[in-house]
Amino acid sequence: MIEQRFKCPNCEQIASFYGNPGEHLVVTCSACHLKGRLTIPHAEQNNGHAIEVSHLKKIYGDLIAVNDISFSVKNGEVFAFLGPNGAGKTTTVEMIESIRQPTAGSIQLLGKDIKTHFNDVKEKIGILPQEFHSFERLTVRETLVYFSNLFKKKADVDQIIQSLDLTSHKNMLYRNLSGGLKQRVGVAISLVNDPEIIFLDEPTTGLDPKARREVWGVIAGLRKKGKTVFLTTHYMEEAEFLADHIAVIFKGKIIAEGTLEDLIRNYGKSSVMHIKKCVNAPEVIEMLKQEGYDEVSSEGNGDIAIKIDYKERVLDILSHLKHDCIEYESLDIRRSNLEEVFLRLTGSKLTEDAA
Amino acid sequence: MNLKIIWMDFVYSIKGWYRSKGGMFWSLAFPVILILLFGAIFSGIGSSKYTLYVQDKDQTEMSRMFNATLNGTKLFTINVVKADVNASAFIKEKNIKSLIVIPDGFEQTIQESFTNPSARVDLQFYFDPSEQTTTQVIRSVISSILQEMNKNLSHAKTIIGVQEISTITENFNFIDFFLPGMIGFTIMQGAIYGSIERNTKYRKDGILRKLLTTPITRTEWILAKMLFMMFLAALTTALITIIGILVFGMTVNISAWVIIIIIATSFLFSGMGMLIGRFVKEEETADTAAGAISFPMMFLAGTFFPLEQMPGFLQTIAHVLPLYYVNEALRNSMIYLNQNESLLNGVVVIIFAGVFFISGVLLTKWKED
Repeated sequence: MIEQRFKCPNCEQIASFYGNPGEHLVVTCSACHLKGRLTIPHAEQNNGHAIEVSHLKKIYGDLIAVNDISFSVKNGEVFAFLGPNGAGKTTTVEMIESIRQPTAGSIQLLGKDIKTHFNDVKEKIGILPQEFHSFERLTVRETLVYFSNLFKKKADVDQIIQSLDLTSHKNMLYRNLSGGLKQRVGVAISLVNDPEIIFLDEPTTGLDPKARREVWGVIAGLRKKGKTVFLTTHYMEEAEFLADHIAVIFKGKIIAEGTLEDLIRNYGKSSVMHIKKCVNAPEVIEMLKQEGYDEVSSEGNGDIAIKIDYKERVLDILSHLKHDCIEYESLDIRRSNLEEVFLRLTGSKLTEDAA
Repeated sequence: MNLKIIWMDFVYSIKGWYRSKGGMFWSLAFPVILILLFGAIFSGIGSSKYTLYVQDKDQTEMSRMFNATLNGTKLFTINVVKADVNASAFIKEKNIKSLIVIPDGFEQTIQESFTNPSARVDLQFYFDPSEQTTTQVIRSVISSILQEMNKNLSHAKTIIGVQEISTITENFNFIDFFLPGMIGFTIMQGAIYGSIERNTKYRKDGILRKLLTTPITRTEWILAKMLFMMFLAALTTALITIIGILVFGMTVNISAWVIIIIIATSFLFSGMGMLIGRFVKEEETADTAAGAISFPMMFLAGTFFPLEQMPGFLQTIAHVLPLYYVNEALRNSMIYLNQNESLLNGVVVIIFAGVFFISGVLLTKWKED
């Protein structure tokens, strides 16, 4: 029996389930009672880790593209490898996929060293390379059948088409698809052998927000199915939305790693409560300061910002506002995000310009 | 080796090619258009006769015999110019390109030659230097007729030069020369550009990286693509040959040896394409590089015109070009039925194919640096 962590797509509650490798379970979320299917992945003596990277290094002449990085990815989790363009994301993932030769270090996939066993592992991984474009003059279905026939283990192509909402496009030529649909087909290709690990290298780069959301939906669906997903991205909201575990890479080194909550707790600022258009804002600020809230500030137009160190303080402030009958238009609490984490860690923003 | 994978890739390649208008045009329509066009220009479809003006100032049996021989070649539309007309003035006035004058005393001088070895009469051939092809054809025909007449009149031994001219002008047309060249050229274009597409476009699109992470081996993939190249080569060869037979009434010999040459040609130029794709990695640049190599080769290797018509140094260059040996091997086997010559050139093609294809396979890699 092995443990499989599961994040409810409805309420994001994380729970653990136990089963035998390959076993399909019907599970129910303890928080919102949503029912879903879960497949326990084949662990294959990998100590619960689908990917284990140790002291990986890649040097091109004088350039150290990847500098002695180590990390591991648990079975069934979505692991986001986050960093700006040129940070070493693709070099790393392509070394794990055996497309590039590492200068040093070791890589294990499903408990097997890829130096010696990559041919065995090929049947169990699915890959969407960066900026992938498939054969232009094959239809969506033909494309999937082509790649499916390369593997011994085959998933049901029509089921993949259905699950990725490609049914109405299955007879369209690949070249006639929109960018979002092409990426969806790319993800579909990576599933034709029913893989245990799926590598998606920048699957939403260049897509418009709608198409990006579509691809996110597909990746979220893979997580529901219990697949291990290794996702490289330079979009922090993508990592925030999808990832169970995030590693931040910058200039070839992993500078932070953990869950989103870990990263924000360790490297981000505290949350801030914003009170909008408060009547008598100066008096309210004074009152809050007297109550012991040191970091209260005016943001003009009657807006007030209050630093929240711990969640109980939210209730205290609300009770003060209610007790003193203070009128305001709206109130929100903003959590620190990965952008702030990245800014604090590197001194630069995690945007496409950061490259 | 998984034959099912090779067959599947081959079938899907045909599907993709069939759906590509550009692919269909360059593989099938383009060679057909070229062969019809060049065939029509050079091989006597429509008005093919050369116009020749003849002024017979001698008006004797011998001069009439010369006229009749000229007519008998069926190469000329002969216009008679009256004997009392001034030839130079007539040419200027009528803008005449070619005129032959049989001088007064033509027959008499020939008769004198039996007793006087130094007796000699010259025909006057007026020509326009800018009309090189017409001039050359007329000059060679007149020369052969005169040699034949000299030989008959003087009972001299057979002159070899007459026989040579007879062979070239009577037995084979331009289309006979052109058709095998067109086959070699079409296979070369398809193989080089097909190979470049696989090695640059597929690399850029991530398809090679994707394939690297699937169980298909490089050998299986290359064999599948070679199978497709040979399919295209067979199709274009068949099409061009059928047009040669049906439209131009050619007699074409297709043998096992011709098929071997065609297969070797596919391997040769696929290997060349792989090498170009290996060293010039960007698709557009690789296309330009392919054009820079294949286009001059097309002209220099005797595809459209016989090597003998080229300057000496270009003939030397042709002998290091693989397409030259392909053309010669196909031509000698399919048209001239000179199998020894074909064998010699075909062996050179096979050696070139081995060197280029093996180098291409060894130097091409799917893995990134």
